[in-house]
Amino acid sequence: MVRNPRGKDVFRLLHIVVIPLLLGALMTLPAAVTQAQSPSFVIITNPARPISSLDRKLLADVFLKKITRWSDDSSISPVDLGPKSDTRARFSEEILERSVAAVRNYWRQSVFSGRDVPPPEFDSESDIVAYVSRNPGAIGYVSAATNVNGTRVVQIR
Amino acid sequence: MGKSRGKPCFRARLAICLCGVLLAPAAASATEEPDQPQAATAVDLNDGATPTEGNGHSRSFSDKLMDRVMNSRLHGFVSQGFLLSSGNNYLAMSKSGSFEFSEVGLNVTVPLSDRLRLGMQLFSQDLGPLGNYSAKFDWYYLDYKWKDWFGIRVGRIKVPLGLYNDTQDVDAARNAALLPQSVYPAQNRDYLLAQTGAELYGFIDLKQGGALDYRAYAGTIFLDLTNVPGNALLIRNLVVPYVLGGRLMWETPLTGLRVGVSAEALELDAVVLSRTSTQTAGSTDTVLHDSKPATVAVDALLTVGSLEYIYGDFNFAAEYSRWFIDERTSDQHVVPIPAALAHSVSERAYVMSSYRVTPWFQPGAYYSMLYNNVEHREGRENQQHDYAATLRFDLTDWWLLKLEGHYIYGTGALNSAMNYDQKLSTLTPNWGLLVLKTTGYF
Repeated sequence: MVRNPRGKDVFRLLHIVVIPLLLGALMTLPAAVTQAQSPSFVIITNPARPISSLDRKLLADVFLKKITRWSDDSSISPVDLGPKSDTRARFSEEILERSVAAVRNYWRQSVFSGRDVPPPEFDSESDIVAYVSRNPGAIGYVSAATNVNGTRVVQIR
Repeated sequence: MGKSRGKPCFRARLAICLCGVLLAPAAASATEEPDQPQAATAVDLNDGATPTEGNGHSRSFSDKLMDRVMNSRLHGFVSQGFLLSSGNNYLAMSKSGSFEFSEVGLNVTVPLSDRLRLGMQLFSQDLGPLGNYSAKFDWYYLDYKWKDWFGIRVGRIKVPLGLYNDTQDVDAARNAALLPQSVYPAQNRDYLLAQTGAELYGFIDLKQGGALDYRAYAGTIFLDLTNVPGNALLIRNLVVPYVLGGRLMWETPLTGLRVGVSAEALELDAVVLSRTSTQTAGSTDTVLHDSKPATVAVDALLTVGSLEYIYGDFNFAAEYSRWFIDERTSDQHVVPIPAALAHSVSERAYVMSSYRVTPWFQPGAYYSMLYNNVEHREGRENQQHDYAATLRFDLTDWWLLKLEGHYIYGTGALNSAMNYDQKLSTLTPNWGLLVLKTTGYF
Protein backbone atom coordinates (compact mmCIF):
# COMPACT_ATOMS: atom_id res chain seq x y z
CA MET A 1 0.00 0.00 0.00
CA VAL A 2 0.97 3.60 -0.49
CA ARG A 3 2.13 5.19 2.71
CA ASN A 4 4.50 7.91 1.70
CA PRO A 5 3.31 11.36 2.90
CA ARG A 6 4.69 12.88 -0.31
CA GLY A 7 1.80 11.17 -2.04
CA LYS A 8 -0.65 13.25 -0.05
CA ASP A 9 1.08 16.39 -1.23
CA VAL A 10 0.66 15.31 -4.82
CA PHE A 11 -3.04 14.67 -4.33
CA ARG A 12 -3.43 18.01 -2.52
CA LEU A 13 -1.82 19.75 -5.47
CA LEU A 14 -4.09 17.91 -7.89
CA HIS A 15 -7.13 19.01 -5.89
CA ILE A 16 -5.97 22.62 -6.02
CA VAL A 17 -5.81 22.39 -9.80
CA VAL A 18 -8.78 20.15 -10.49
CA ILE A 19 -11.50 21.66 -8.31
CA PRO A 20 -11.35 25.25 -9.66
CA LEU A 21 -11.30 23.89 -13.20
CA LEU A 22 -14.29 21.64 -12.53
CA LEU A 23 -16.22 24.55 -10.99
CA GLY A 24 -15.38 26.74 -13.96
CA ALA A 25 -16.48 24.08 -16.35
CA LEU A 26 -19.75 23.47 -14.47
CA MET A 27 -20.55 27.17 -14.80
CA THR A 28 -20.60 26.72 -18.56
CA LEU A 29 -23.14 23.87 -18.38
CA PRO A 30 -26.27 26.04 -18.74
CA ALA A 31 -24.97 27.24 -22.10
CA ALA A 32 -24.48 23.65 -23.20
CA VAL A 33 -28.00 22.70 -22.05
CA THR A 34 -29.50 25.63 -23.95
CA GLN A 35 -27.56 24.58 -27.03
CA ALA A 36 -29.07 21.09 -26.90
CA GLN A 37 -32.64 22.45 -27.11
CA SER A 38 -32.52 22.71 -30.89
CA PRO A 39 -35.28 21.82 -33.38
CA SER A 40 -35.99 18.15 -33.95
CA PHE A 41 -34.68 16.21 -36.94
CA VAL A 42 -35.87 13.81 -39.58
CA ILE A 43 -34.09 10.87 -41.19
CA ILE A 44 -33.99 10.96 -44.97
CA THR A 45 -33.00 8.44 -47.62
CA ASN A 46 -33.01 8.45 -51.36
CA PRO A 47 -36.60 8.01 -52.63
CA ALA A 48 -35.52 4.87 -54.46
CA ARG A 49 -34.93 3.22 -51.09
CA PRO A 50 -38.27 1.64 -50.15
CA ILE A 51 -38.01 2.15 -46.43
CA SER A 52 -40.69 3.60 -44.24
CA SER A 53 -39.09 3.10 -40.83
CA LEU A 54 -35.82 2.09 -39.19
CA ASP A 55 -34.99 0.85 -35.73
CA ARG A 56 -33.02 3.33 -33.61
CA LYS A 57 -30.30 0.84 -32.78
CA LEU A 58 -29.95 -0.09 -36.43
CA LEU A 59 -29.75 3.57 -37.33
CA ALA A 60 -26.97 4.04 -34.78
CA ASP A 61 -25.04 1.11 -36.26
CA VAL A 62 -25.45 2.57 -39.75
CA PHE A 63 -24.10 5.98 -38.76
CA LEU A 64 -21.21 4.37 -36.86
CA LYS A 65 -20.63 2.25 -40.02
CA LYS A 66 -20.97 -1.03 -38.19
CA ILE A 67 -23.70 -1.94 -40.65
CA THR A 68 -22.70 -0.86 -44.13
CA ARG A 69 -25.06 -2.66 -46.51
CA TRP A 70 -28.71 -2.38 -47.36
CA SER A 71 -30.75 -5.53 -47.58
CA ASP A 72 -30.09 -5.68 -51.34
CA ASP A 73 -26.33 -5.78 -50.55
CA SER A 74 -25.68 -2.31 -51.96
CA SER A 75 -23.58 -0.07 -49.79
CA ILE A 76 -25.05 2.40 -47.35
CA SER A 77 -23.63 5.91 -47.52
CA PRO A 78 -24.40 7.79 -44.32
CA VAL A 79 -23.70 11.51 -44.29
CA ASP A 80 -23.27 13.74 -41.27
CA LEU A 81 -23.76 17.40 -40.55
CA GLY A 82 -20.76 19.37 -39.31
CA PRO A 83 -19.73 19.08 -35.66
CA LYS A 84 -21.12 22.48 -34.68
CA SER A 85 -24.60 21.75 -35.98
CA ASP A 86 -27.41 21.75 -33.39
CA THR A 87 -29.24 19.16 -35.45
CA ARG A 88 -26.25 16.87 -35.28
CA ALA A 89 -26.01 17.35 -31.52
CA ARG A 90 -29.65 16.33 -31.19
CA PHE A 91 -29.26 13.38 -33.55
CA SER A 92 -26.13 12.24 -31.76
CA GLU A 93 -27.72 12.33 -28.33
CA GLU A 94 -31.01 10.71 -29.34
CA ILE A 95 -29.86 8.12 -31.86
CA LEU A 96 -26.22 7.39 -31.04
CA GLU A 97 -26.70 8.12 -27.33
CA ARG A 98 -23.38 9.83 -27.05
CA SER A 99 -22.20 13.37 -27.57
CA VAL A 100 -20.82 14.68 -30.84
CA ALA A 101 -17.42 14.91 -29.16
CA ALA A 102 -17.63 11.24 -28.15
CA VAL A 103 -18.63 10.27 -31.67
CA ARG A 104 -15.75 12.23 -33.14
CA ASN A 105 -13.45 10.44 -30.70
CA TYR A 106 -14.87 7.12 -31.89
CA TRP A 107 -13.95 8.11 -35.45
CA ARG A 108 -10.47 9.26 -34.49
CA GLN A 109 -9.85 5.82 -32.98
CA SER A 110 -11.17 4.24 -36.13
CA VAL A 111 -9.21 6.45 -38.54
CA PHE A 112 -5.85 6.22 -36.83
CA SER A 113 -6.05 2.48 -36.27
CA GLY A 114 -6.92 1.98 -39.93
CA ARG A 115 -10.34 0.46 -39.35
CA ASP A 116 -12.58 2.91 -41.19
CA VAL A 117 -13.21 6.55 -41.95
CA PRO A 118 -16.16 8.66 -40.77
CA PRO A 119 -19.08 9.58 -43.00
CA PRO A 120 -18.54 12.74 -45.02
CA GLU A 121 -19.72 15.90 -43.31
CA PHE A 122 -21.75 18.73 -44.83
CA ASP A 123 -22.10 22.15 -43.26
CA SER A 124 -25.41 22.86 -44.94
CA GLU A 125 -28.59 20.85 -44.50
CA SER A 126 -29.62 21.60 -48.07
CA ASP A 127 -26.37 19.96 -49.18
CA ILE A 128 -27.37 16.86 -47.22
CA VAL A 129 -30.74 16.82 -48.98
CA ALA A 130 -29.09 17.29 -52.37
CA TYR A 131 -26.56 14.51 -51.73
CA VAL A 132 -29.18 12.06 -50.47
CA SER A 133 -31.50 12.79 -53.39
CA ARG A 134 -28.71 12.02 -55.86
CA ASN A 135 -27.25 8.88 -54.27
CA PRO A 136 -29.38 5.74 -53.98
CA GLY A 137 -27.42 4.38 -51.00
CA ALA A 138 -27.38 7.60 -49.04
CA ILE A 139 -28.97 8.25 -45.68
CA GLY A 140 -28.81 11.45 -43.68
CA TYR A 141 -30.66 13.61 -41.20
CA VAL A 142 -31.75 17.23 -41.28
CA SER A 143 -33.82 19.47 -39.05
CA ALA A 144 -37.58 19.00 -39.30
CA ALA A 145 -37.93 22.48 -40.77
CA THR A 146 -35.73 21.71 -43.77
CA ASN A 147 -37.25 21.25 -47.21
CA VAL A 148 -36.67 17.56 -47.94
CA ASN A 149 -38.13 17.43 -51.45
CA GLY A 150 -36.44 14.76 -53.52
CA THR A 151 -35.84 12.47 -50.55
CA ARG A 152 -37.83 9.99 -48.50
CA VAL A 153 -38.49 10.67 -44.83
CA VAL A 154 -38.00 7.59 -42.66
CA GLN A 155 -39.68 7.09 -39.33
CA ILE A 156 -37.66 5.99 -36.30
CA ARG A 157 -38.99 2.89 -34.55
CA MET B 1 22.66 1.82 -43.07
CA GLY B 2 22.66 5.35 -41.71
CA LYS B 3 19.18 6.62 -41.13
CA SER B 4 19.77 10.10 -42.45
CA ARG B 5 20.99 8.92 -45.85
CA GLY B 6 17.80 7.02 -46.51
CA LYS B 7 15.32 9.73 -45.68
CA PRO B 8 15.21 11.95 -48.82
CA CYS B 9 14.83 8.94 -51.08
CA PHE B 10 12.19 7.51 -48.80
CA ARG B 11 10.23 10.76 -48.79
CA ALA B 12 10.30 10.92 -52.57
CA ARG B 13 9.05 7.35 -52.84
CA LEU B 14 6.33 8.08 -50.33
CA ALA B 15 5.19 11.18 -52.22
CA ILE B 16 5.00 9.23 -55.47
CA CYS B 17 3.19 6.43 -53.73
CA LEU B 18 0.62 8.74 -52.13
CA CYS B 19 -0.01 10.57 -55.42
CA GLY B 20 -0.48 7.27 -57.18
CA VAL B 21 -2.84 6.02 -54.52
CA LEU B 22 -4.92 9.17 -54.56
CA LEU B 23 -5.17 9.45 -58.32
CA ALA B 24 -5.61 5.81 -59.28
CA PRO B 25 -9.13 5.28 -57.91
CA ALA B 26 -10.38 8.46 -59.52
CA ALA B 27 -8.99 7.38 -62.87
CA ALA B 28 -10.41 3.91 -62.45
CA SER B 29 -13.86 5.21 -61.69
CA ALA B 30 -14.04 6.84 -65.11
CA THR B 31 -14.37 3.43 -66.74
CA GLU B 32 -16.74 1.84 -64.25
CA GLU B 33 -20.42 1.30 -64.83
CA PRO B 34 -22.79 2.54 -62.16
CA ASP B 35 -23.56 -0.03 -59.46
CA GLN B 36 -26.69 -2.01 -60.20
CA PRO B 37 -28.86 -2.73 -57.20
CA GLN B 38 -29.31 -6.40 -56.38
CA ALA B 39 -32.39 -8.24 -55.25
CA ALA B 40 -33.45 -7.69 -51.67
CA THR B 41 -32.41 -10.29 -49.12
CA ALA B 42 -34.13 -11.49 -45.98
CA VAL B 43 -32.46 -8.86 -43.80
CA ASP B 44 -35.17 -6.50 -42.65
CA LEU B 45 -33.57 -3.24 -43.63
CA ASN B 46 -36.33 -2.22 -46.01
CA ASP B 47 -39.95 -2.97 -46.64
CA GLY B 48 -39.28 -5.67 -49.16
CA ALA B 49 -39.37 -3.88 -52.49
CA THR B 50 -36.35 -3.73 -54.76
CA PRO B 51 -34.85 -0.26 -54.90
CA THR B 52 -34.23 1.49 -58.17
CA GLU B 53 -31.89 4.31 -59.08
CA GLY B 54 -32.54 7.59 -57.34
CA ASN B 55 -35.23 9.74 -58.97
CA GLY B 56 -35.20 7.40 -61.95
CA HIS B 57 -31.85 8.74 -63.17
CA SER B 58 -28.49 6.96 -63.49
CA ARG B 59 -25.81 8.40 -61.28
CA SER B 60 -23.44 10.60 -63.19
CA PHE B 61 -19.70 10.17 -63.45
CA SER B 62 -19.26 13.29 -61.35
CA ASP B 63 -21.35 11.77 -58.56
CA LYS B 64 -19.28 8.59 -58.63
CA LEU B 65 -16.08 10.59 -58.65
CA MET B 66 -17.35 12.71 -55.80
CA ASP B 67 -18.07 9.55 -53.81
CA ARG B 68 -14.49 8.39 -54.21
CA VAL B 69 -13.02 11.77 -53.37
CA MET B 70 -15.27 12.17 -50.36
CA ASN B 71 -14.39 8.73 -49.11
CA SER B 72 -10.62 9.11 -49.62
CA ARG B 73 -9.20 10.51 -46.47
CA LEU B 74 -5.91 12.03 -45.48
CA HIS B 75 -5.42 12.41 -41.74
CA GLY B 76 -2.47 13.28 -39.59
CA PHE B 77 -1.29 14.33 -36.18
CA VAL B 78 1.69 15.87 -34.43
CA SER B 79 2.19 15.44 -30.68
CA GLN B 80 4.81 16.88 -28.41
CA GLY B 81 5.00 15.98 -24.78
CA PHE B 82 7.08 16.76 -21.74
CA LEU B 83 7.87 14.32 -18.93
CA LEU B 84 9.04 15.36 -15.48
CA SER B 85 9.41 12.86 -12.66
CA SER B 86 10.65 12.73 -9.12
CA GLY B 87 12.67 9.83 -7.82
CA ASN B 88 13.16 7.74 -10.95
CA ASN B 89 13.57 8.08 -14.68
CA TYR B 90 10.54 6.74 -16.48
CA LEU B 91 10.16 6.22 -20.24
CA ALA B 92 12.83 8.88 -20.80
CA MET B 93 15.42 10.69 -18.70
CA SER B 94 12.49 12.35 -17.00
CA LYS B 95 14.03 13.33 -13.67
CA SER B 96 15.63 16.32 -15.30
CA GLY B 97 12.62 16.88 -17.57
CA SER B 98 12.48 15.42 -21.03
CA PHE B 99 10.95 16.47 -24.33
CA GLU B 100 11.74 13.04 -25.77
CA PHE B 101 8.04 12.35 -26.11
CA SER B 102 6.99 13.07 -29.69
CA GLU B 103 4.69 11.41 -32.20
CA VAL B 104 3.99 12.23 -35.82
CA GLY B 105 1.61 10.34 -38.06
CA LEU B 106 0.14 10.72 -41.53
CA ASN B 107 -2.36 8.30 -42.97
CA VAL B 108 -4.42 7.88 -46.09
CA THR B 109 -7.38 5.61 -46.74
CA VAL B 110 -8.73 5.07 -50.23
CA PRO B 111 -11.74 3.03 -51.35
CA LEU B 112 -10.67 1.09 -54.45
CA SER B 113 -14.11 -0.35 -55.00
CA ASP B 114 -17.37 -0.87 -53.17
CA ARG B 115 -15.78 -3.55 -51.01
CA LEU B 116 -12.03 -3.06 -51.32
CA ARG B 117 -10.08 -0.39 -49.47
CA LEU B 118 -6.44 0.33 -48.89
CA GLY B 119 -4.82 2.34 -46.18
CA MET B 120 -1.42 3.19 -44.83
CA GLN B 121 0.08 5.24 -42.05
CA LEU B 122 3.52 6.70 -41.84
CA PHE B 123 4.57 7.12 -38.24
CA SER B 124 7.54 8.44 -36.36
CA GLN B 125 8.06 8.74 -32.65
CA ASP B 126 10.58 9.49 -30.00
CA LEU B 127 10.06 8.22 -26.49
CA GLY B 128 13.28 8.17 -24.52
CA PRO B 129 15.44 5.49 -26.14
CA LEU B 130 12.64 4.33 -28.44
CA GLY B 131 11.88 5.48 -31.94
CA ASN B 132 14.47 8.20 -32.40
CA TYR B 133 12.32 9.85 -35.07
CA SER B 134 12.86 7.09 -37.63
CA ALA B 135 9.80 7.08 -39.87
CA LYS B 136 8.21 3.79 -40.80
CA PHE B 137 4.93 2.42 -42.01
CA ASP B 138 2.98 1.90 -38.84
CA TRP B 139 0.25 0.04 -40.67
CA TYR B 140 -0.78 -0.65 -44.23
CA TYR B 141 -3.39 -2.99 -45.54
CA LEU B 142 -5.77 -4.09 -48.23
CA ASP B 143 -9.21 -4.51 -46.72
CA TYR B 144 -11.89 -6.56 -48.46
CA LYS B 145 -15.23 -6.30 -46.67
CA TRP B 146 -17.47 -8.90 -48.23
CA LYS B 147 -20.31 -8.56 -45.76
CA ASP B 148 -20.68 -6.71 -42.50
CA TRP B 149 -20.14 -10.03 -40.74
CA PHE B 150 -17.06 -11.01 -42.72
CA GLY B 151 -14.10 -9.13 -44.04
CA ILE B 152 -10.39 -9.76 -44.45
CA ARG B 153 -7.39 -7.47 -44.16
CA VAL B 154 -3.89 -8.30 -45.30
CA GLY B 155 -0.77 -6.26 -44.66
CA ARG B 156 0.63 -4.79 -41.50
CA ILE B 157 -2.35 -4.52 -39.19
CA LYS B 158 -2.79 -3.07 -35.73
CA VAL B 159 -3.21 -5.76 -33.08
CA PRO B 160 -6.60 -5.65 -31.34
CA LEU B 161 -5.43 -6.52 -27.83
CA GLY B 162 -7.77 -5.04 -25.26
CA LEU B 163 -9.78 -1.91 -25.88
CA TYR B 164 -7.08 0.54 -26.88
CA ASN B 165 -3.96 -1.25 -28.06
CA ASP B 166 -4.61 -0.39 -31.69
CA THR B 167 -5.07 3.31 -30.91
CA GLN B 168 -2.41 3.77 -28.26
CA ASP B 169 -0.32 6.01 -30.54
CA VAL B 170 -3.14 8.44 -31.11
CA ASP B 171 -3.21 11.03 -28.40
CA ALA B 172 -6.32 12.73 -29.79
CA ALA B 173 -8.33 9.51 -29.57
CA ARG B 174 -8.16 9.15 -25.80
CA ASN B 175 -8.37 11.22 -22.68
CA ALA B 176 -5.20 10.16 -20.84
CA ALA B 177 -1.83 11.42 -22.04
CA LEU B 178 -0.35 8.08 -21.02
CA LEU B 179 -2.62 5.08 -21.25
CA PRO B 180 -2.48 2.78 -18.20
CA GLN B 181 1.02 1.42 -18.64
CA SER B 182 0.30 -1.91 -16.98
CA VAL B 183 -1.88 -3.06 -19.87
CA TYR B 184 -0.45 -0.80 -22.61
CA PRO B 185 3.28 -0.49 -21.88
CA ALA B 186 4.86 2.01 -24.22
CA GLN B 187 8.21 0.20 -23.96
CA ASN B 188 6.70 -2.88 -25.62
CA ARG B 189 5.20 -0.98 -28.51
CA ASP B 190 7.24 -2.79 -31.16
CA TYR B 191 6.11 -6.16 -29.88
CA LEU B 192 2.48 -5.36 -29.34
CA LEU B 193 1.25 -2.74 -31.75
CA ALA B 194 1.00 -4.40 -35.16
CA GLN B 195 1.57 -7.67 -36.93
CA THR B 196 2.24 -8.45 -40.57
CA GLY B 197 -0.15 -11.04 -41.91
CA ALA B 198 -3.88 -11.37 -42.26
CA GLU B 199 -6.91 -10.62 -40.17
CA LEU B 200 -10.52 -11.75 -40.38
CA TYR B 201 -13.11 -9.45 -38.90
CA GLY B 202 -16.81 -8.89 -38.75
CA PHE B 203 -19.80 -7.41 -36.99
CA ILE B 204 -22.70 -9.74 -36.24
CA ASP B 205 -25.99 -8.12 -35.33
CA LEU B 206 -27.74 -10.18 -32.65
CA LYS B 207 -30.86 -8.00 -32.79
CA GLN B 208 -32.23 -7.81 -29.24
CA GLY B 209 -29.09 -9.50 -27.95
CA GLY B 210 -26.80 -6.68 -29.04
CA ALA B 211 -23.95 -7.45 -31.43
CA LEU B 212 -20.67 -9.31 -31.67
CA ASP B 213 -17.56 -7.68 -33.02
CA TYR B 214 -14.79 -10.15 -33.76
CA ARG B 215 -11.24 -9.98 -35.08
CA ALA B 216 -8.88 -12.92 -35.56
CA TYR B 217 -5.38 -12.65 -36.97
CA ALA B 218 -2.18 -14.54 -37.71
CA GLY B 219 1.18 -13.42 -39.00
CA THR B 220 4.55 -12.31 -37.76
CA ILE B 221 6.25 -9.26 -36.32
CA PHE B 222 9.33 -7.72 -37.86
CA LEU B 223 11.43 -6.22 -35.11
CA ASP B 224 14.03 -3.54 -35.39
CA LEU B 225 17.10 -4.54 -33.37
CA THR B 226 17.99 -0.92 -32.79
CA ASN B 227 14.80 -0.57 -30.79
CA VAL B 228 15.86 -2.82 -27.92
CA PRO B 229 16.99 -0.39 -25.23
CA GLY B 230 19.11 -0.94 -22.18
CA ASN B 231 20.02 -4.52 -22.96
CA ALA B 232 23.34 -5.72 -21.59
CA LEU B 233 23.33 -8.55 -24.10
CA LEU B 234 23.98 -8.24 -27.81
CA ILE B 235 21.11 -9.53 -29.87
CA ARG B 236 22.34 -10.74 -33.23
CA ASN B 237 19.09 -12.04 -34.62
CA LEU B 238 15.52 -11.61 -33.51
CA VAL B 239 12.56 -13.24 -35.19
CA VAL B 240 8.95 -13.87 -34.39
CA PRO B 241 8.04 -17.17 -36.09
CA TYR B 242 4.38 -16.60 -35.44
CA VAL B 243 1.88 -14.35 -33.76
CA LEU B 244 -1.79 -15.18 -33.64
CA GLY B 245 -4.73 -14.03 -31.65
CA GLY B 246 -8.09 -12.43 -31.65
CA ARG B 247 -10.60 -10.28 -29.89
CA LEU B 248 -14.29 -10.87 -29.32
CA MET B 249 -16.37 -7.96 -28.08
CA TRP B 250 -20.03 -8.22 -27.17
CA GLU B 251 -21.92 -4.99 -27.60
CA THR B 252 -24.62 -5.55 -25.05
CA PRO B 253 -28.24 -4.49 -25.50
CA LEU B 254 -27.45 -1.60 -23.13
CA THR B 255 -26.23 1.05 -25.54
CA GLY B 256 -22.63 1.99 -24.96
CA LEU B 257 -21.74 -1.04 -22.84
CA ARG B 258 -19.40 -3.56 -24.38
CA VAL B 259 -17.46 -6.38 -22.81
CA GLY B 260 -14.99 -8.75 -24.35
CA VAL B 261 -11.88 -10.85 -24.25
CA SER B 262 -8.74 -10.82 -26.32
CA ALA B 263 -5.67 -12.99 -26.50
CA GLU B 264 -2.40 -13.04 -28.36
CA ALA B 265 0.14 -15.85 -28.59
CA LEU B 266 3.58 -15.33 -30.01
CA GLU B 267 7.03 -16.85 -30.04
CA LEU B 268 10.19 -14.79 -29.98
CA ASP B 269 13.49 -16.41 -31.00
CA ALA B 270 16.77 -14.60 -30.52
CA VAL B 271 20.42 -15.31 -31.04
CA VAL B 272 22.27 -13.59 -28.23
CA LEU B 273 25.81 -13.18 -27.06
CA SER B 274 27.27 -11.39 -24.12
CA ARG B 275 30.05 -8.85 -24.52
CA THR B 276 32.53 -7.99 -21.82
CA SER B 277 35.19 -5.32 -21.96
CA THR B 278 38.61 -5.24 -20.36
CA GLN B 279 41.33 -2.64 -20.32
CA THR B 280 44.84 -3.73 -21.21
CA ALA B 281 47.48 -2.96 -18.63
CA GLY B 282 49.22 0.38 -19.15
CA SER B 283 46.86 1.41 -21.88
CA THR B 284 43.51 3.16 -22.19
CA ASP B 285 42.48 0.80 -24.98
CA THR B 286 39.43 -1.32 -24.29
CA VAL B 287 39.30 -4.87 -25.57
CA LEU B 288 35.88 -6.39 -26.21
CA HIS B 289 35.26 -10.08 -25.68
CA ASP B 290 32.21 -11.72 -27.20
CA SER B 291 30.86 -14.96 -25.86
CA LYS B 292 29.72 -17.73 -28.15
CA PRO B 293 26.13 -17.16 -29.29
CA ALA B 294 23.22 -18.71 -27.47
CA THR B 295 19.64 -19.05 -28.55
CA VAL B 296 16.82 -17.77 -26.43
CA ALA B 297 13.19 -18.61 -27.05
CA VAL B 298 10.27 -16.85 -25.44
CA ASP B 299 6.71 -18.11 -25.64
CA ALA B 300 4.15 -15.56 -24.62
CA LEU B 301 0.42 -15.70 -24.17
CA LEU B 302 -1.24 -12.38 -23.43
CA THR B 303 -4.84 -12.31 -22.30
CA VAL B 304 -7.11 -9.36 -21.56
CA GLY B 305 -10.66 -9.08 -20.30
CA SER B 306 -12.31 -5.74 -21.11
CA LEU B 307 -15.32 -3.67 -20.19
CA GLU B 308 -16.20 -0.24 -21.54
CA TYR B 309 -19.25 1.93 -21.01
CA ILE B 310 -19.85 5.13 -22.90
CA TYR B 311 -22.97 7.16 -22.34
CA GLY B 312 -23.28 10.74 -23.46
CA ASP B 313 -20.07 12.37 -22.31
CA PHE B 314 -19.29 9.78 -19.67
CA ASN B 315 -16.68 7.13 -20.34
CA PHE B 316 -15.66 4.23 -18.13
CA ALA B 317 -13.25 1.41 -18.91
CA ALA B 318 -11.78 -1.43 -16.90
CA GLU B 319 -9.46 -4.19 -18.02
CA TYR B 320 -7.79 -7.15 -16.39
CA SER B 321 -4.88 -8.90 -18.02
CA ARG B 322 -2.47 -11.76 -17.45
CA TRP B 323 0.65 -12.41 -19.47
CA PHE B 324 2.05 -15.96 -19.42
CA ILE B 325 5.72 -16.01 -20.35
CA ASP B 326 7.99 -19.06 -20.83
CA GLU B 327 11.68 -18.49 -21.45
CA ARG B 328 14.31 -21.01 -22.58
CA THR B 329 18.00 -20.62 -23.20
CA SER B 330 20.53 -22.89 -24.88
CA ASP B 331 23.36 -21.70 -22.66
CA GLN B 332 22.85 -20.59 -19.08
CA HIS B 333 26.34 -19.05 -19.03
CA VAL B 334 25.53 -16.61 -21.82
CA VAL B 335 21.89 -15.91 -21.00
CA PRO B 336 21.13 -17.10 -17.49
CA ILE B 337 17.45 -17.71 -16.91
CA PRO B 338 16.79 -18.68 -13.30
CA ALA B 339 14.28 -21.46 -12.81
CA ALA B 340 11.95 -19.02 -11.05
CA LEU B 341 11.81 -16.88 -14.19
CA ALA B 342 11.57 -19.69 -16.72
CA HIS B 343 7.83 -19.51 -16.32
CA SER B 344 6.19 -16.36 -15.05
CA VAL B 345 2.73 -14.90 -14.98
CA SER B 346 2.28 -11.16 -14.70
CA GLU B 347 -0.93 -9.49 -13.61
CA ARG B 348 -2.13 -6.17 -14.98
CA ALA B 349 -5.31 -4.19 -14.50
CA TYR B 350 -6.77 -0.72 -14.47
CA VAL B 351 -9.97 1.23 -14.04
CA MET B 352 -10.32 4.52 -15.89
CA SER B 353 -13.02 7.11 -16.21
CA SER B 354 -13.55 10.50 -17.75
CA TYR B 355 -16.35 12.98 -18.25
CA ARG B 356 -16.54 15.71 -20.84
CA VAL B 357 -17.84 18.62 -18.82
CA THR B 358 -17.90 20.98 -21.76
CA PRO B 359 -16.91 20.49 -25.41
CA TRP B 360 -13.46 21.87 -24.51
CA PHE B 361 -12.81 20.34 -21.10
CA GLN B 362 -12.61 16.68 -20.10
CA PRO B 363 -11.13 15.62 -16.78
CA GLY B 364 -10.37 11.97 -16.14
CA ALA B 365 -8.58 9.64 -13.77
CA TYR B 366 -7.35 6.09 -13.59
CA TYR B 367 -5.73 3.56 -11.33
CA SER B 368 -3.40 1.06 -12.92
CA MET B 369 -1.59 -1.83 -11.25
CA LEU B 370 1.09 -4.26 -12.30
CA TYR B 371 2.58 -7.35 -10.67
CA ASN B 372 5.44 -8.72 -12.71
CA ASN B 373 5.07 -12.17 -11.25
CA VAL B 374 2.00 -13.29 -9.40
CA GLU B 375 4.14 -15.72 -7.40
CA HIS B 376 6.28 -12.86 -6.04
CA ARG B 377 4.08 -9.90 -5.20
CA GLU B 378 6.17 -8.46 -2.38
CA GLY B 379 8.83 -5.82 -2.87
CA ARG B 380 8.80 -2.56 -4.79
CA GLU B 381 10.56 -4.15 -7.75
CA ASN B 382 7.75 -6.64 -8.33
CA GLN B 383 4.87 -4.21 -8.55
CA GLN B 384 3.80 -0.78 -9.72
CA HIS B 385 0.65 1.14 -8.79
CA ASP B 386 -0.16 4.25 -10.75
CA TYR B 387 -2.80 6.81 -9.68
CA ALA B 388 -3.30 9.31 -12.49
CA ALA B 389 -5.47 12.38 -13.03
CA THR B 390 -5.81 14.05 -16.42
CA LEU B 391 -7.13 17.39 -17.58
CA ARG B 392 -7.80 17.50 -21.30
CA PHE B 393 -8.46 20.83 -22.99
CA ASP B 394 -9.72 20.79 -26.56
CA LEU B 395 -8.60 24.28 -27.51
CA THR B 396 -10.02 23.99 -31.03
CA ASP B 397 -11.43 21.22 -33.23
CA TRP B 398 -7.87 20.33 -34.22
CA TRP B 399 -5.70 21.22 -31.24
CA LEU B 400 -5.66 19.87 -27.71
CA LEU B 401 -3.62 20.18 -24.55
CA LYS B 402 -3.30 17.66 -21.72
CA LEU B 403 -2.01 18.02 -18.21
CA GLU B 404 -1.58 14.82 -16.26
CA GLY B 405 -0.25 14.00 -12.81
CA HIS B 406 0.78 10.53 -11.63
CA TYR B 407 1.49 9.29 -8.18
CA ILE B 408 3.27 5.95 -8.41
CA TYR B 409 4.24 3.31 -5.92
CA GLY B 410 6.68 0.61 -6.98
CA THR B 411 9.42 0.24 -9.55
CA GLY B 412 8.28 -2.90 -11.37
CA ALA B 413 7.91 -1.23 -14.77
CA LEU B 414 11.10 0.82 -14.61
CA ASN B 415 14.19 0.23 -16.68
CA SER B 416 17.46 -0.25 -14.79
CA ALA B 417 19.50 1.00 -17.73
CA MET B 418 17.71 4.34 -17.62
CA ASN B 419 18.32 4.58 -13.90
CA TYR B 420 22.09 4.29 -13.92
CA ASP B 421 21.99 0.48 -13.80
CA GLN B 422 20.63 0.46 -10.28
CA LYS B 423 18.62 -2.56 -9.25
CA LEU B 424 14.88 -1.99 -9.30
CA SER B 425 14.77 -2.95 -5.63
CA THR B 426 16.96 0.04 -4.77
CA LEU B 427 15.07 2.69 -6.76
CA THR B 428 12.76 5.21 -5.10
CA PRO B 429 9.52 3.36 -4.22
CA ASN B 430 7.19 6.40 -4.06
CA TRP B 431 7.52 8.82 -6.90
CA GLY B 432 5.59 11.20 -9.11
CA LEU B 433 5.31 11.97 -12.79
CA LEU B 434 4.00 15.07 -14.53
CA VAL B 435 3.03 14.82 -18.18
CA LEU B 436 2.28 17.75 -20.44
CA LYS B 437 1.25 17.03 -23.98
CA THR B 438 -0.15 18.97 -26.89
CA THR B 439 -1.45 17.50 -30.11
CA GLY B 440 -2.55 18.96 -33.41
CA TYR B 441 -4.51 16.73 -35.76
CA PHE B 442 -6.69 16.76 -38.83
